[in-house]
Amino acid sequence: MSPLELVDDRFDKLAEELRASRPVAPVALRAQVRALAPPGPRGTFPRPSRRVVFALAGAALLASFVAAGVTGLSGSSTKQQSAVKPKSVKTTTEHGDAVRQGVGGVALKTPAPNLGPLQRTSDLAPTAGRLQRYQATLRLRVKDVDAMSSAAKRAMNVTHGLGGYVASVQYATRSKGGGATLVLRVPVGNVQTALTELASLGTILQQHTGILDVTRRVDREALQIAELERQLAHASPSEAPVIRAKLATLRAKHARLLKSARLARITLGLTTPAKQAATAPSRFDRTVDDAGSVLLRELEILLYALVVAGPLLLLGAAGIAAAKAQRRRSDARLLERA
Amino acid sequence: MGKRRRIDAVKTEFAEAAERHLDDVHAYLVYLTGDRGTAEELAAETFARACERWHRFDPRRGGARTWLCQLARSTALDHFRAEERRRRREGRYAVSVPASEEQVFGEGLSPALEAALSRLSAAEREVVALRIVLELDGEAAARVLGISATACSTRLSRALQKLEKEVSAGVAA
Repeated sequence: MSPLELVDDRFDKLAEELRASRPVAPVALRAQVRALAPPGPRGTFPRPSRRVVFALAGAALLASFVAAGVTGLSGSSTKQQSAVKPKSVKTTTEHGDAVRQGVGGVALKTPAPNLGPLQRTSDLAPTAGRLQRYQATLRLRVKDVDAMSSAAKRAMNVTHGLGGYVASVQYATRSKGGGATLVLRVPVGNVQTALTELASLGTILQQHTGILDVTRRVDREALQIAELERQLAHASPSEAPVIRAKLATLRAKHARLLKSARLARITLGLTTPAKQAATAPSRFDRTVDDAGSVLLRELEILLYALVVAGPLLLLGAAGIAAAKAQRRRSDARLLERA
Repeated sequence: MGKRRRIDAVKTEFAEAAERHLDDVHAYLVYLTGDRGTAEELAAETFARACERWHRFDPRRGGARTWLCQLARSTALDHFRAEERRRRREGRYAVSVPASEEQVFGEGLSPALEAALSRLSAAEREVVALRIVLELDGEAAARVLGISATACSTRLSRALQKLEKEVSAGVAA
């Protein structure tokens, strides 16, 4: 196809004449050019072709995926090792004695070892002949909401059966499970039986027992009351009301102290396992999670770099484009003048 | 041994390309400058540069003729800039028109066409040279000129119309 076909047939004759008499390079110039010899191939870095650039970009992408996968695999195995390490439960008394017991750890994936109920609960028993304020907290895991409901009922029955009462009950169910908290008051003499019974309702997650000996305090208050009674007997009519009021306050306080020393306070927490915690994620899931988070991190870094470097790159590209356009316009003007 | 052979191969490639396209480059520069002497100088300069940069030539990005024409254009533009600076420095603003009687744009051209060509601007003459004389296709010519193929076609059309008009005016006179 002639280059002129796109222009106009009218110029064919003109074109023929121009082509027929095109200038020919003089012999001297030809000889000069023939004498030229290019230098040998240089050890310059070859400009990478588009295919190489795409291949490099693909390799970088693949490398990031592999890095994410390797990180995911190593991360999941580390987590697996740490997941089987049991944690101990701390049992303390309010006098500062601390006893560590390896029962029903929080992080245990399986229920506590199949020990007898007596062995599983705290063996800190109130001392006979002493007045002690006994407080215990027991957190149990039950299978599901139904089991939680029956465990709560059973705990209340046990409490009543041992001569105690239920001070408060909080019960909540959600779509993923539920939880209940019962505050039970049980005669101190029966607290061990109560704890044993309650512990059998589920898997122990946490247990805390506190004992505060109040015998001396009770004795002191009894002496104070006796003293006030003696003062009241000899008091003048003007002093009597004040002493009587003090006596009433002290007697009420004393009664509360005696009651707290008679009735142990047991806080029973019941919980159902959360759905996602019910089945531990498999190694594959953990690997995928870890790899995903690594990829996400890489994406974040890439975005950050783009946000930081993007405007500079854009400015640079715009500058280069403007310079090129300016150069082109300048060349065009130059050729128009020439 | 291998390096020697590679050097020889490069020399042969360049020599062949120079031999094949010397007339084209020279003709293009004659049209661009409108002066044979300048065109010869610039052609020599162009091939000297090409010789120096031959290792940069990539056949995948275009033919040797296109590459050499690009190089020739760049050399000519440098020359025009230098000339303009020189003229400005010397206070000579008038563009000199070749006064010689010899035919610049080729032996055998009609005086009317010769005169018409000399009245075209360098930009108009170069597109005529590339598309008509050298018979480059639109894409290659556009690449040499650094414009789009459409712009190149438009420029050629206008240049030919002007050329025809000048020729007709010359004949009538």
